[in-house]
Amino acid sequence: MSPNKNDIYIVGAARTQFGRFDGEDNDLAEEAVRGALADCDLSWTDIAFAVGGTNGETKPDNLVSRLGLTGLPFVTVKNGCATGAVALMTARNGMVAENLDLACVVGYDNHARGAFNVSPARYGLGDWYGATGMMVTTSYFALKIQRYLYEHGIDERTLGYASAKAFAYAKDHPYAWRRKPVSVDETLDADMINDPLTRLMFCSPDAGAAALILARGSRAFDLCDTPIRLASVALRGRRPGSFEVFSPWLSPGDRTSPSIDAAKAAFDAAVITPADVQVAQLQDTDSGAEVIHLGETGLITHGDQEAAYRNGDFEIDGRLPVNTDGGLLANGEPVGASGLRQVHEIVRQLQGRADGKQVPGTPRIGFTHVYGAPGISACTVLIKEGAQP
Amino acid sequence: MSIEVVDATLFTSLDPVTLAGSACRACGSHVFPAIESCPTCSSVDVERVALPTEGTVWSWTTQHFAPKPPFKTDEFIPFSIGYIDLGPVIVQGWLVGKNEWVIGEPVHLVLTHAWTQDSGAVCTFGFEVV
Repeated sequence: MSPNKNDIYIVGAARTQFGRFDGEDNDLAEEAVRGALADCDLSWTDIAFAVGGTNGETKPDNLVSRLGLTGLPFVTVKNGCATGAVALMTARNGMVAENLDLACVVGYDNHARGAFNVSPARYGLGDWYGATGMMVTTSYFALKIQRYLYEHGIDERTLGYASAKAFAYAKDHPYAWRRKPVSVDETLDADMINDPLTRLMFCSPDAGAAALILARGSRAFDLCDTPIRLASVALRGRRPGSFEVFSPWLSPGDRTSPSIDAAKAAFDAAVITPADVQVAQLQDTDSGAEVIHLGETGLITHGDQEAAYRNGDFEIDGRLPVNTDGGLLANGEPVGASGLRQVHEIVRQLQGRADGKQVPGTPRIGFTHVYGAPGISACTVLIKEGAQP
Repeated sequence: MSIEVVDATLFTSLDPVTLAGSACRACGSHVFPAIESCPTCSSVDVERVALPTEGTVWSWTTQHFAPKPPFKTDEFIPFSIGYIDLGPVIVQGWLVGKNEWVIGEPVHLVLTHAWTQDSGAVCTFGFEVV
C-alpha cells in the first residue's frame, strides 16, 4: 500500500514502570522519550514538533533543557484524564497543519498517595460541597455504577470479574504496578469503600510516563517495519444528560455521555464499526467504569457485560481482549501518562510484540478510550496495515 | 433562634426547608444550586425557584472512609450520599437515617446536623425516608 501524505503513524513507543517513584517528574518523562526515540532509531534532534502533558506542577515544554535545545515548537496540554490522548491529537493536528514529518508526544505524572484532593472553587462550586463530603471521586464512581447496574439489570458480581481480569493480565506485564492476582471472591469480599465498590475495585493515582514518536506519510515506513496508523482520534465534551464527577445536580431524562460521542466520532472517522475492534483499552478508573465504558463505546450491548465476562470474552484468547496490560486498575493512573500507556499497549499488541500477554493471531484493529473530569472523553482507532510494496 | 447552615444561598427557606434552584425561562431546564445562566441552552434568562421537597432515590452509596479536608465533621461515621430525583432536576445530597438504600425509594427534604463550630451547630440539607 502507499500511504497518503497526511496519514499519521506511530513508529516508536515506550513507557516506564508505573507505581511509586521517588525521583523527579522529568526523570520519568525523559526515560519515556528516550525509550520511544530508541524504539525507532531516531535522535531528539530529528524531531520537528513535540507535545507534552502532565497534571502536575512541572512544565513539559521545559523538557528541552534535558533533551536538547533544538528550537522546536513544544506545546503543553492539561486535560485531566484525557491529557495523553489530547496530546496525541494535538501532535497529529500540528503535523498535518504545518507539514511536519516527525513529532514526539509525551505524558507523565507523579502523584501523591490516596484519592485526588481537589478544591470546590476549581470546579466552580461553593465551599459547602467539599465541607459536606460530596466532593469525593470514589463516591462519584460508586453512584454512577450503582445506577448503571440498576438500569441494565447487571449483578454486582460483574464488578469482581472486571477487577480479577485486570490483575490477571498485570501478573504477566513487566511494567504494571499491581501484579498480584486476586480471585473474583477476594475482590467482592475486600473492604467496602463506597457501595458497591470495594478496595480492590479502584485504581490509585501513581507515577509513570509514556511517549510516542509519530511519522507522517511514507516516512513512517522508512523508520519502522510495522508502523501503526492513527486512523482517528476524537475528543468530545459533555452534553445535557451526562453524569459527571462533582455534579450537585443532573438533568432528568435521557442519559448522554462524552464517551458515547467520542467513540462514535472515532469509529466514523476511521470508517469502521465497534464490531471490527480486535483489542481495546478502556478507562477503568474503577471496575464499574470498565463495565460502563464497554457499553458506552459500543463494544458491547448495554446489559450483556455480565455474561461476556463470565464467558471470558475479554481474556487474551477471547472475542475482544480488553485492557491487556492490566488497565488503570493494575497500572494506577499517572494522569498525564495514562492515555499514552493505552496507545503504547495497543501498538505493541498490533505489532505482535506485547510486553505481557500477546493477543493470538494477527490483530489489525485496536481502540483506546479515556474519560474524566469535567466530562470529557477521547478515543483513538489504531490500524496495522500491510507492508509497503 | 436562627438556624446556621452550610451555605444560606442553597435555600429559599429554612422553615419549612426548601432548596433554591434556577429555572431557565427559555428552555425550562432546572439547575441546583441556582446559577445565572442555563447550561442546557446558554440563555441568561433564568429565575431563582424553590425546588420540590419530595422525590425518589435515583442512586446511592455509603461513604465508608473519612474524606480529606475540606470535609468537616465532629466525628466521622459512615454516611450515605445519593442523587434524588425531584422531577425537574436530580439533586445530590445526604441520605440520612440509614446506610442501605433502594433505588426508587420515596424520600423528602430535611435539615440535618453537619458539624459543630464555635458559634454552634451547623446544618446541611439531606433526604430521609417519607
